[in-house]
Amino acid sequence: MELLKRQEKWDITYTHALGEVASWFFVQIRDNAKIYGRRCAKTGRVLVPPRAFSDQTLEPTTEWVEVGPGGRIETFTMVYEPFQHLPEPPYAFGFVQLDGADTAIGGFFKGVDLSDPAKAAEKLAIGTRVKTVFADKRVGDLIDFWFELA
Amino acid sequence: MGLNRKTAVIGSAILAPIAGDGQSLEEVLYEVSQRALKDAGLSMDDIDGIVVGSNDQFDGRAISIMAASGSVGGVDRDILSTPSAGEHAFVMGVLRIASGQYETHLIVSWSPLEVSSLSEAQRLGADPYFHRRLPLDEASAYALQAAALGAAAPVAHQLAMPIVERSRESGAVAGHDPSALPEDESAGNARWPLRDGMIAKATSGAVALVIASEDYVREHAVDNPAWVRGMGWATEAAFLGDRDLSTAPALEEAARRAYEEAGIGDPGSAFDLVEITGVTPYQELIAYDALGLSRRDAWKEDVEKGRFTRTGQLPVNPSGGAVALNPVFCTGLMRIAEAARQIRGTAGKHQIENAKLALAHAASGMAMMYQTVLIFGNQQEGGRS
Repeated sequence: MELLKRQEKWDITYTHALGEVASWFFVQIRDNAKIYGRRCAKTGRVLVPPRAFSDQTLEPTTEWVEVGPGGRIETFTMVYEPFQHLPEPPYAFGFVQLDGADTAIGGFFKGVDLSDPAKAAEKLAIGTRVKTVFADKRVGDLIDFWFELA
Repeated sequence: MGLNRKTAVIGSAILAPIAGDGQSLEEVLYEVSQRALKDAGLSMDDIDGIVVGSNDQFDGRAISIMAASGSVGGVDRDILSTPSAGEHAFVMGVLRIASGQYETHLIVSWSPLEVSSLSEAQRLGADPYFHRRLPLDEASAYALQAAALGAAAPVAHQLAMPIVERSRESGAVAGHDPSALPEDESAGNARWPLRDGMIAKATSGAVALVIASEDYVREHAVDNPAWVRGMGWATEAAFLGDRDLSTAPALEEAARRAYEEAGIGDPGSAFDLVEITGVTPYQELIAYDALGLSRRDAWKEDVEKGRFTRTGQLPVNPSGGAVALNPVFCTGLMRIAEAARQIRGTAGKHQIENAKLALAHAASGMAMMYQTVLIFGNQQEGGRS
């Protein structure tokens, strides 16, 4: 028999509040091209991305600490599949522990030729030093910066 | 600490992949539930409560229990839903029976393939502040985890394909539909360092289990119950950058709790088989270590000498595991169902003969964020023999 399918496309917009901590973080990126973390007074750990509280100690964080612009690749991957609202593949992204931070922040890697994955993987090897590069025109979002080999 | 009251799996049904487009999701849920009840020799009137686990993004419905309440028998009954993981539905069901308020439960989880892109749907799991701008779907998280493991233990890259091959051989014995398997194992990088050939394509699926209290099993003289001998679960930080992705501390904690309850001293020699949720071979290696089955320095010898084949000393994934068949959201509950079936002696073509104690590991979320361990035995208490 004839089996029917029904296709639906929803178009709903969410407007998420960032809160004071994430707002200040992204304003510093947008206006001053600087990345800050939040220090947990109890453990001294600097959390990047910043959080109003540590999810380990459940204590409020107390202090802004500038981190980077240098850092170390913690992990990475190269993506060969297209996503909506993201760059054309292939591209590389991963997590970088910025100097002075105790946790790693996600971001894109640029300036590495990805046409040969094995060679690119050697260049992006975990532990490799990178530097943060900021876009000239910044909007206060994660795409305002990326990482390049130091 | 052990639970006050023992629970056993007394019936199950696995539909994966769901064949064709002849059934709506509700009809699939009805079928899988009725099959599990039939396997247990029960009717819906014998069921006190229901817990379901499903993913709203994959279902394309908000509060997807709405699709289940009628189809699995929830009308005028006690039914709860969890969106975190199918295995969490099982954990919740066991705890509810242990509470003494219920004698029987039906557990159901499902995973349709009706969204245009699972990857895009999975990205909704990331926070909208720091991670939504990244291509952070489950495949990316698997790859970031594989890269981290490969840096910490380079032998992982060497063992990945042998693990995939063993899983597919077992999957073939189990009679899984091979259509989800990539044809060319060397083809392309899905996400470096994962190759397309290492990961099964996502399939649809639905899994249902019937569980019952020790009192119910005794009073109804149920044949071949698979007793829950130990259970543990734990969760890792949501931000991947907070974690060392080459390790699985939440799984270590889940295993510690399960082993303590079951009285397992040496997990490496305790089980007749284990079912591990390794969507990638790298996840399977991480689980070996965290479960105490094989430490990093023993991986190479254990994998290459066939310790984990279906005829080896410790059969891993006689069902083929998630590398052979991956019904995404219900893969974890499928491992639980497979391990319980082995203990009940109803696993089918891939039955491990005389299986008396089995471990099921379920993992869900980004890079195994949620970790769950179940230990099943053919005896309510005591050792393996």
